[in-house]
Amino acid sequence: MSEVAAHSRRPLPAPRTGGWWRHFGRRRGAYLWLLLPAVSFLAVFFVYPLVEIILRSFPDSSLSFYQRIFTSTLYVRVIGETFKTSALVMVICLLLAYPYAYAMAHASRHVLVVLAIALLLPFWVSLLLRTFSWLILLQNTGLINKALMGLGLIDAPLPLIRNQTGVVIGMVHILLPYAVLPLYAVMRKIDGRLMEASSICGAGWGRSFVRVYFPLSLPGVYAGALLTFTLSLGFYITPALLGGPRDTMIAQLIAIQVSEQLNFGQASALAVVLLVFTAAAFGLFGLLLSFGAKARRRAVVA
Amino acid sequence: MRMSSLVRKVVFWVFVSGVAFFLVAPTLIAVPISFTTTAGIQFPPEGFTLKWYGAVFASRDWREAMLNSLIIAIATSALSLVLGTAAALVLSRAKFRGKTILLGLLLSPLVTPVIVLSVAMYMVFARWGLSGSFAGLIAAHTVLALPFVIVSVLASLKTLNANLELASAGLGATPWFTFRRVTLPLILPGVVSGGIFAFITSWDEVVIAIFLADVSTRTVPVMIWTQLRAMLDPATAAVGAILIAISAVGMLITYKLRPLNS
Repeated sequence: MSEVAAHSRRPLPAPRTGGWWRHFGRRRGAYLWLLLPAVSFLAVFFVYPLVEIILRSFPDSSLSFYQRIFTSTLYVRVIGETFKTSALVMVICLLLAYPYAYAMAHASRHVLVVLAIALLLPFWVSLLLRTFSWLILLQNTGLINKALMGLGLIDAPLPLIRNQTGVVIGMVHILLPYAVLPLYAVMRKIDGRLMEASSICGAGWGRSFVRVYFPLSLPGVYAGALLTFTLSLGFYITPALLGGPRDTMIAQLIAIQVSEQLNFGQASALAVVLLVFTAAAFGLFGLLLSFGAKARRRAVVA
Repeated sequence: MRMSSLVRKVVFWVFVSGVAFFLVAPTLIAVPISFTTTAGIQFPPEGFTLKWYGAVFASRDWREAMLNSLIIAIATSALSLVLGTAAALVLSRAKFRGKTILLGLLLSPLVTPVIVLSVAMYMVFARWGLSGSFAGLIAAHTVLALPFVIVSVLASLKTLNANLELASAGLGATPWFTFRRVTLPLILPGVVSGGIFAFITSWDEVVIAIFLADVSTRTVPVMIWTQLRAMLDPATAAVGAILIAISAVGMLITYKLRPLNS
């Protein structure tokens, strides 16, 4: 084993042919069967259940469940609320993530390690547990309200949970890494000489940033927006624990239909609607990303 | 001019440190809370006691939940490692039509809202007699964990020099022998970190478990979820601190294997 590892440190030029099955298999696809277990597993336990809810949402090819979703004021309001919360979370995530990613991309190695650990540590800790922490920090007798009252800034505790504020704080905390990582990946590759060139040409820092750096970082902005927005749409745990009755999101409606109303058809239709929204958001941001790539090319040329 | 650039730098770094603090501090507060001597949860905590850890390990419910979580997480990592490594081996080398679509299918559980999956599995698994069973939870968690294993193993395979496999083949080794003695040892970091990702995915998963688990198979996150909705108790914080310790170990091993800048 160690001899092999020692060899790998002196790489030979890569062969033109693919890999070992080219030499063992008579045919090129001889080892394709290795894909079969994973693919059939997902077909049974992932694709089939999704097909099932699509079928269940159209009993006797009637659209009644969908009709109810788009005509009932409750459902329409919850869907609107879900979009508003997701958009707000996305914007706040991007505003916090942009400077953070910038710092990571341009800091010294030691600072980078500290910032990366701060970013990835919460990534590893259970989402439920982090929501629990916010529940404690934000409640009326929690640290934040106590501190603000102790400083004499407020007389009565601010309502920070059981409302949208709590939901947004909790969700931003969970989704922030999903905005920072794509931004960092893009910023790391931005050529620093472009900013130097801009300043040699007489532009101040602000102007160079707006005209050179920011356009180059747009693909990261779009990718971060895509991830935070689409992941927000399906959130269940955080709004259920930190939100009030008026902050219900689609996921909670689905859960209630299943566990309380036992209305599987309605739950299926809602789940399909959520799936379609998620897919549509992906499509939309995918378009933006390709525009971003064009803008990037233009900026480099200009 | 000098002054304004200094002010900008100070404001920038204060902001960035603030964000770092916002990320880290709430993640860890379960640890100090778990040592409080008060009967209710409070932060900052008072005094120091280990009695809440004692309470957790004395409780049959928590002990069973930990055992269930452990069984499900280990089985999930084993199953997703076997399925995912085999798939990644083919995906990294073979060229065939529809490969991009297939890769998309294999990774799509990552972007599917978990609540949709939970409801869908809940309905289907009930009919198959899998709801409330270990098999059902392991299957569901494997669906979520598989993309992590595939991505991680694919990344290692990219760095592998195919000449080594050719050499092994040229010396007369069978494909299986080459895999075991050449390929696997070289991609082991990717396989191990994929396995850890899979373990943590299952260990922390709550939404699917709420729908699929019953009293005998409920996991630690399901217990915490029930506790949070009923009452807050420092014992829950102690469980939280244990979870943080486990996550920290997983994180350390993974980054030891795969440095931050790769």
